[in-house]
Amino acid sequence: MSDSPSGPGLFDTFLLRDLASNTMRLILTRWVAGGLVPLATAFCVRGLGLPLPERPLYLVGAAILSYNGLFVWLVRRAVHTEDPAHLPYMRRLVVLQVALDWLAMAVFLHLTGGIESPALFFFLIHMLMVTILLPGQSPYLYVVIGTGVVLLISLLERTGLLPHYHILPSVPRTLYSDSIFIASRVVFFATTAFATVYLTASIMSRLRERERQVAALFEVTRAVSSTLSLPEVLDALVRSAAEALEVPAASLHLLDETGERLELSASYGVAHPERLKECLITLSESAMDREALAGQPVIVRDAASDPRVRCSVLLEDERFASLLVAPLIGRGGPLGVLRIYSQRPHRFMEEEADFAMAIARQGATALENALAHDALRRSEQTRAQFVRMVTHELRAPVAGAQSLLRVLVRGMAGELTDQQRDILRRLEDRLDALSALINDLLDLAASKTVQLEEPLRPVTLQPVLRAVIERYAAQAEEKQVALRADIPPEPLTVCASEDGLDRVFDNLIGNAVKYTPEGGRVSVHLSKQVASAVITVADTGIGIPEKDLPHLWEEFFRASNARRSRIPGTGLGLSIVRRLVEYYGGLIGVQSVEGQGTTFTVTLPLAGPGGCGPEEAGRGTPSPRPAPEG
Amino acid sequence: MAKILIVDDDPDMVLATRLCLEGAGHEVIEAANGTEALEKIRAERPDLIILDVMMDTTTEGFQLALTLRSPDPRSEYAEFRDIPILILTAIHTTAPVRFSPDEDYLPVDDFIDKPIDPDELVKKVEALLKKAD
Repeated sequence: MSDSPSGPGLFDTFLLRDLASNTMRLILTRWVAGGLVPLATAFCVRGLGLPLPERPLYLVGAAILSYNGLFVWLVRRAVHTEDPAHLPYMRRLVVLQVALDWLAMAVFLHLTGGIESPALFFFLIHMLMVTILLPGQSPYLYVVIGTGVVLLISLLERTGLLPHYHILPSVPRTLYSDSIFIASRVVFFATTAFATVYLTASIMSRLRERERQVAALFEVTRAVSSTLSLPEVLDALVRSAAEALEVPAASLHLLDETGERLELSASYGVAHPERLKECLITLSESAMDREALAGQPVIVRDAASDPRVRCSVLLEDERFASLLVAPLIGRGGPLGVLRIYSQRPHRFMEEEADFAMAIARQGATALENALAHDALRRSEQTRAQFVRMVTHELRAPVAGAQSLLRVLVRGMAGELTDQQRDILRRLEDRLDALSALINDLLDLAASKTVQLEEPLRPVTLQPVLRAVIERYAAQAEEKQVALRADIPPEPLTVCASEDGLDRVFDNLIGNAVKYTPEGGRVSVHLSKQVASAVITVADTGIGIPEKDLPHLWEEFFRASNARRSRIPGTGLGLSIVRRLVEYYGGLIGVQSVEGQGTTFTVTLPLAGPGGCGPEEAGRGTPSPRPAPEG
Repeated sequence: MAKILIVDDDPDMVLATRLCLEGAGHEVIEAANGTEALEKIRAERPDLIILDVMMDTTTEGFQLALTLRSPDPRSEYAEFRDIPILILTAIHTTAPVRFSPDEDYLPVDDFIDKPIDPDELVKKVEALLKKAD
C-alpha cells in the first residue's frame, strides 16, 4: 500500500509487543491442547470404548507439550528486549510453531479417523491465529497448505498407503474412501477456511492501519513539538507528514501577511523546491488551496488533468501524479496548507484525507507556537536595538554637559567667583543625579533584554568581590566607614556572567557604603555551603523600615528613610540585583532593623563539573556579543 | 607639550577635552569623523589620538582604530601604528559587556569613561605619552 518503506519505529515496537503477547497466548492454548489430547484419548478409549490408537495419541500429546516448552524458552529470550529488530525472528518463531502444530494435527487427524475425524475443525483455529499473527498474504498460503494436508491424508488413506483408523462404529466402514464424501468435506473445509481468513485479514489490516496511524501521528507530534525554532518545526512537519502517510514528498505553504498568497516554507522529497517556490500561489487563482483553507482536505486524484491545480507542469516534472491538500488552521485562523504528494494517481482516499487532517491539526498547533516564539524573539531583538540607540542618545548630551561643567568648575576656562562655583556645583550635582537615573534605567532595560540572553560561564567569586571592595575603599575611607572583607582563599566558582556579578556586588556594597553614616562598619563575608556560595553584605547603616521590606525589590521603590536622607538614588538597583541573582539560579534575602543596619544574603549555586551549559542553567541561550555603546 | 588629535562628533565633548588638555599645556587638533581623522593624522602627525568609539555610525571609531593598527605591513598607515590611542567611551557603565584593551578586538591603549574627569584625562594622556617615548 505504500510508495516508500519506512524504517523501524514506534509502530514496529507496537507490532513486536503485540506479536509477543499473541504468541504467549498461542503457547498457553497449546499447553491446554497438549494436556487434553491424552486426557480425551483416555476418556474415549476407557470411558466410551472407542477403538482409538491409544499409545500413538499419548505420544502426540507428549510431543506437543515438549516442543511447547522449547518455545516458551525461545520466546522469553526474544521478548526480553523490546528491540524492533527482533520482529523478523519472532515471525520466524511463529511460522515454526505453526509448522510443528500442523504436523501434530496432521498426525492427530490421521489417528482419529482421517477425513471422518472431527479434529478437522482444529485447523481453523490455527488459520485464524496465523492471520492475526502474521501480516500480508501469508494466511492464504496456510489455507492452501492446510487444505492440501487434509486432502493428502484422505487420499493416502483412500489408496491404502496409510492405514485408516475406523473410530465410530455407527459410520459405514467405507465412508473414508467415498470420493464424493472426501471432495465435499475438503471443499467445504477450504471454503470455510478461506472465508474465515479473508474476513479476519481484512479486519486485521484495518486495525493495523489504525495502529500505524496512531503511531505515525505520535511521531509527527513528537517531531514537531521537539523544538520551538520555526524552520525546524516546518522541516519536521513536512518530513514526518510524508513518512506518516508513506509518500515520497510533502510541502508546506504558509500564508503571507496579506493572507492572499501562499509561500513555500518547507519541502521534503521535492527535487526542485526553488521552482516550486517560484510558482506564486495567489488564493484567488488556486481553487485547490482555497477549498482547503475553507477547512476541508482536498484530494486531487490526477494532478495533470485537475483544473484546480496551479503550476501542474512542475508537479509533472517532479513525477507527482496525485496529491492531498490539508489546511493548517490554528487557534488564530488559517496559517497555510500542507501538501502531500504521491507518484501514483488515485493514491489518496477519504481515509488518507482524514489522517492528513489529523496531522495538519497537530502541525498547526506546533506551528502557531513556533510562530509566536519567533515573533517574541524578534520583538526582543528590536527592543535590545532600541535600548542601544536610546543609550547613546540619552547619555551623549548629559555626558557632554557634565564634561563641560567639570572643566568650568576646575577653573580651566577662567577663574570663577565663589558664588559662580557654587551654582555650577549644584548644576553638576543635578546632572550627576540625572546621569545615574539614566544609567539605572538603561541597566534595567539591558538586564531585561541583552543581559539575560548572555550565556552563563563559570566565574570565580573572589576576584569579582575584591575588585568591587577595592572600588569602594577610597569612598569608605573618606567617610570613615570601616570596609572589611572576610573572603576565604579557596576559589568558589558559580555559573554567571562576570559583569552581572560585578553589578550585583557593586550595588550591594555601594549601597552599604552609601547608607552607612560616619564611623559605621560594612563587612563582606563569603563562605561555602554544601553546594552553594553564600555572600553576605552587612552594614551598620540607616536600615530599612519594616513596612518597606516587602517592596524592596520593586522597580523604582526607595525606602522612606532613604528618600528622606537626600542621598541620590533611583530605586532600580535592587530590582536589577534580584533579577540577576535569580537568573543565575540563586536567591537573595534581606534582614534589617531601621536605624541599626541591614544585611543582604546572596546564595548562588556552585558551578558543577560539567560547566555551565544551557541545560545546567535551564535558561539563557547563547547570543552574539552585543555591540558596545560609546 | 604634545600634539593631540581629538576625534569626536560631539562638539561639547571636544570643547571639554580641548580645555582640559590645553590647560595641561598640550596642543589640540580636532576631527569630526573617521575620514577627517585620517587626513589630519597624515598632515599633522599627532603624538596621541583620543577617539570616541561611537560617532555617527556605530562602527566608525572602531574602524579607525583597526585601520591605524592594521598588522598588514603594506598598510598605508603603517608608519602611524605606534601612535597611542585613548578611547573615550561609556561602555564601562552601560553595555552589559566590559572589555579590556585587546589586540584582536579593539586595538587601543587605554580607555576613559564619559563624562570626562579632567584630572583623570590628563593623567592618562601623560602616562600614554610617557610610555610612547
